[in-house]
Amino acid sequence: MPVHDLGYRAWVGGRMPRLLRPWVVARSGVSLVWRRRWLRMMIMMAWLPIIVPALGIFAFEYSPNEPELSRAGLQLLGRLDQSELAARIAANPDEARHDVWATLILAFFRYPQAIAMVLLVGIIAPMMISYDLRSKAYLMYFSRPLTPPEYIVGKSAVIWFFLAMISTVPALGLYVLGVLLSPDLSVIGETWDIPLRIILATIVLVVPTTVLALCYSAFTSESRYATFAWFATWAMGGVAYRILTFAGQPPRFLLPDGSRPRGRRGRWAENADWQEWLANIDYDKWRLLSPYHILGKVEGWVFGLDSTGASVMPSIIALVTITIVGLWLIRSRIVARLRT
Amino acid sequence: MDVGFHVEPGVTGLLGPNGSGKSTLIKAILGLVSAQCGTGEVLGHTWPRDVRAIRDQVGYLPEDDCYIAGLCGIESVTFMARLSGLPGTEGLRRAHEIMDFCDIGEERYREVETYSTGMRQKLKFAQALVHDPPLLILDEPTTGLDPDQRKAMLSRIKTLARDHGKSVMLSTHILPDVRSVCDNVLMLVGGRIRLAETLQNLSRPSEPTVHVMVHGDSEPLMQHARSQGHEVSMLDDGSLRIEGIEDGQHELVWRYAAETGTAIHRLEPAENSLDKIFFDVASRPESMEARDASS
Repeated sequence: MPVHDLGYRAWVGGRMPRLLRPWVVARSGVSLVWRRRWLRMMIMMAWLPIIVPALGIFAFEYSPNEPELSRAGLQLLGRLDQSELAARIAANPDEARHDVWATLILAFFRYPQAIAMVLLVGIIAPMMISYDLRSKAYLMYFSRPLTPPEYIVGKSAVIWFFLAMISTVPALGLYVLGVLLSPDLSVIGETWDIPLRIILATIVLVVPTTVLALCYSAFTSESRYATFAWFATWAMGGVAYRILTFAGQPPRFLLPDGSRPRGRRGRWAENADWQEWLANIDYDKWRLLSPYHILGKVEGWVFGLDSTGASVMPSIIALVTITIVGLWLIRSRIVARLRT
Repeated sequence: MDVGFHVEPGVTGLLGPNGSGKSTLIKAILGLVSAQCGTGEVLGHTWPRDVRAIRDQVGYLPEDDCYIAGLCGIESVTFMARLSGLPGTEGLRRAHEIMDFCDIGEERYREVETYSTGMRQKLKFAQALVHDPPLLILDEPTTGLDPDQRKAMLSRIKTLARDHGKSVMLSTHILPDVRSVCDNVLMLVGGRIRLAETLQNLSRPSEPTVHVMVHGDSEPLMQHARSQGHEVSMLDDGSLRIEGIEDGQHELVWRYAAETGTAIHRLEPAENSLDKIFFDVASRPESMEARDASS
């Protein structure tokens, strides 16, 4: 027997179960994406915003002893439009603890991480399927014992991994940091359900967004079109929602220079008519136009902080519909490609 | 498509004109396109019910230029090994082993996008082979290969079939490739199997015949053979075609040559031209085929 035999030799080892094959697709995809240095930098940057809510929790926990910290905490909640919660803290901090933590973690999910999510998915997801369509790699995948649903799960898992890296892991890290920054560990007894809510909120966030992004990717072999469609969906949805919710603004609110007031703060904050008009805006009517606001509604509900009066069901149905229709479309596109 | 066939062990050439359904047939075997009806058995598995088990046992080299973007050669083969269930490190070891067999050197560390067409063919062959499948389905495996590489590829296919018991289905338009490696031939025309035969039978003329090339004048040998009751004709290259000589009767020709004082330069059994068979079968109307079948 030669030391280095270049001839053919039969394979005599065992094989992994077929159920694990999507794992191979996911692992390969993650390692391929992970090679990009800028992406690793981006993930690290996405972790930085946990400092703000972590300081918020620290301020809240030490506020009974440190009036300065109390003021800083209330200021932060005021910025999050949580004046009611601020009042509850003033009345009974212990009772408000759960909601304060949930509010700060939800804010982390809703603002910095939502932006990071849109950016990250917009960069990595469009190439997931479109590259395979362009290079006809689907023939390689499906000549093995892999079904289209398993392929979709494998590709989705790549995005889930990176989304978990920028949202779930830092959010759980934030929770742990919050516990460590608290005066004692008894806070765990009052906030034990928050990690579970973080995981549930992650599922709400990643499943429909991943399906939507992969759906765009499956529709074209040019990933730039999928990228454009992804960002357009978020931008146009958000802009449409903003415009339509403010569309009925009466002319009496026009500023002397002809412009319109914006938001709940600023010089109009004390104007009762303005505040009343704001309170009567039918946000629920237009929410379904904006993926960002649909997610916000459901995530708020998951964290037990949904302040709007409307039912969460339309938003849940919208997310489920996006997921089911998206999966069906992705599968159809792949099967159609195999027939050609 | 409406096909029924049985593939013998060894190398089977799948022939047919463009659009005859060769690639569709292969994709149907692999379950990549769904069949409207029909059943079959591939490697002991029921087709199309157990198509995933079939794919686990089949190595497929697609005709199309396909690769996974961003991976280098060794990663591509390792990935395919893992998709077929080879465990992590073993998949990598096996990938190296197969790339050695396929004569892929240091190029294995380059990104696949930078490969030439010939390199990609070799890479696809390695990917098809990495999980040691008992059945290889190769769709145009020698396309884009230079003559040396083509010869090496055919040699590998022959080695796998002869020494390692692999069954190979070779879809190609290159008839010399079929002649050099195939044991059996399946010919597909218009989505139907028109011919399923061993290459040996196909090559054998209807009447046992030899081709004889002589030094000098061939006329005396021709006349003598005719006088002995053989049908003799002269071919374009000057050689004689003598019918009615079985494989074991070549000494007859030597005797005729001795009797006529003719020096024989070359003597070989005649074989049917595969090109001609291909042309005849492909151009034969389907109605004639049906009439033959009914009679």
